[in-house]
Amino acid sequence: MRRLLDTLRTAASSPTRNARTATVLGRLLGLAFLVCLLTGLYSHFLQEPAEWMRFPTSPAWLYQVSQGVHITAGIACIPLLLGKLHAVFPQLFQTPPVRHPVQVLERASIALFVASSILQLVTGLLNTYQWYPWPFPFKQVHFALSFVIVGSLAVHIAVKLPLITRYWRARDSYDAEGRFVEPSRELDPARAELEATRELRAMRARRTRASAAPAPAPAAEQPGGLVGRVTRWIDGAREADDVPRASSVSRRTFFTGVGVATGGVVALTAGQSFAALAPLNAFGPRQMGLGPNDLPINRTAAAAKVLETAMDPAWQLTVANGDRTRSFSAADLESMRQGAERLPIACVEGWSQTASWRGVRLVDLMATVGAPAESRLKFTSLEVKGGYRVMLMGPEYATDPATLVALELNGERLDIEHGYPARVIAPGRPGVLQTKWLTSIEVVR
Amino acid sequence: MSARSSSSAARPGAGRAPAPRVPASPTRGVRVARAVLLLVGVALIGLGGWVLTETVRPTEYGGLLVWLIGSVIVHDAVLAPVVAAVSLVVRRTGRRIRPAVLGIVQGAVVVGALLSVVVVPEILAKAEGTKNDTVLPFDYGLRLGLLWLVLALAAAAAVAVYLAATRRQKVRPEADQV
Repeated sequence: MRRLLDTLRTAASSPTRNARTATVLGRLLGLAFLVCLLTGLYSHFLQEPAEWMRFPTSPAWLYQVSQGVHITAGIACIPLLLGKLHAVFPQLFQTPPVRHPVQVLERASIALFVASSILQLVTGLLNTYQWYPWPFPFKQVHFALSFVIVGSLAVHIAVKLPLITRYWRARDSYDAEGRFVEPSRELDPARAELEATRELRAMRARRTRASAAPAPAPAAEQPGGLVGRVTRWIDGAREADDVPRASSVSRRTFFTGVGVATGGVVALTAGQSFAALAPLNAFGPRQMGLGPNDLPINRTAAAAKVLETAMDPAWQLTVANGDRTRSFSAADLESMRQGAERLPIACVEGWSQTASWRGVRLVDLMATVGAPAESRLKFTSLEVKGGYRVMLMGPEYATDPATLVALELNGERLDIEHGYPARVIAPGRPGVLQTKWLTSIEVVR
Repeated sequence: MSARSSSSAARPGAGRAPAPRVPASPTRGVRVARAVLLLVGVALIGLGGWVLTETVRPTEYGGLLVWLIGSVIVHDAVLAPVVAAVSLVVRRTGRRIRPAVLGIVQGAVVVGALLSVVVVPEILAKAEGTKNDTVLPFDYGLRLGLLWLVLALAAAAAVAVYLAATRRQKVRPEADQV
């Protein structure tokens, strides 16, 4: 078993797999995960705010950018995480599997980190494709795992800190000929890596001597059977690690590959969130400008079961402040003073698009029932059921003059898929809170 | 285990280039940072566990556990060994191919594979059906095929440029001697 693990580790080793590579990719990955955590928390609290929380309504694109960054950084994590796992893969076959008490903690935290971060990226990516093939709720698990990931990452960094500081800079990591400088023994409890690399080097030295010697190596030192055959076959190959130039080419290839792939997934998908990259959007799950009123949609009128109620000529919007209630028909709203705003629809799935909206300013509408400033509003949709049928709006959005009860979108009457006869559009809020097919707005007491 | 001298001394041929000197043992600052990170980390893991029990039904824990363990198995027991095996074959083949040429081809394959990891699930999701026409609007299979084609052409062009450049370098010294 020990020999098998040794063989596996040696077979899996390559010049791209060392503590310096792991440090470089780990820094980028750690940064990307932190960005995802912070933007994710912002999005979470926008959707489920505590009573006392207030959010900025300006700039209007704040959520569009923060959620675009969340999704884009998450997608960038996929090649980075795979590259990082590739760099440390031989560590999986340490022999014996545990040789130090701290190592139990270390390996457990790594197992937790790897499992939760792979699952987090998989579920996050598939959520942007609206595909949920797993037997648990996405939103809750994605939220809970984010703490587990950052926590296990902190434990992992704590354990590896001596190695991370040791290989923080390139000039401390490679000698003048570009060879990786092995960690010294005192980097406890990184002793595991040390032992692994030391054994590895000893094995390589033995092998070099064996291949240099004209006489065949003693049979006793060669592993037999299939493992031995495979090892000898590999041994016949040029050992790039022992050729500094080749090993630096190999490292450069690795970093260029991971770097180009990371840049590639970002450039070819981020156009769903950032207008500047829209022309490059080859693989994004959404395209700006595509959909009714030149804007993508999420929930359709058919799914919301509002096809009849929304088209009913007798439709009225009820606005209430306690006992003071007024009802507005579509024609009433159209005859009121109209405001125009450029505001983004920004979905929690990352896609977004800034559009031209026209309609009655919410402050004007609420003034007709004498709604006090600093009041919290409750919006209800015609939807029969759905998690976002009822929406609460904090006073910062309710009193912002840019918030509209929109009747027009991109120069046309609102399409039924976008919330005909009227929907709300407020600056800096997630799309699910821009309630469509409005039926009532009430002051919450 | 015998006492170990400096790491460079044990490496064949490394005596020519002494390793840079770096303090070996962790300083006090590092020890404090480790303790803080460890405490914060354990607290956050606990918070995550608590949030999970507060928001996810216990009947769903089993499925979540299967997916967590499955993620590691798919990576560590399937994806990584396949990559390791392929890179072994490439290393073996590499004897007959110049490192730079091998690097260009490997780089293109790595880029293509990593982009495919993101796009293939998208093709599957589209095949499952979407809620409306604005979700997953493109023909992602065709686009991924085109991407691989572009990568292949780019790699071929890069190899051709490299080979032409090195041939010229080889020819020139001889021409100078004449």
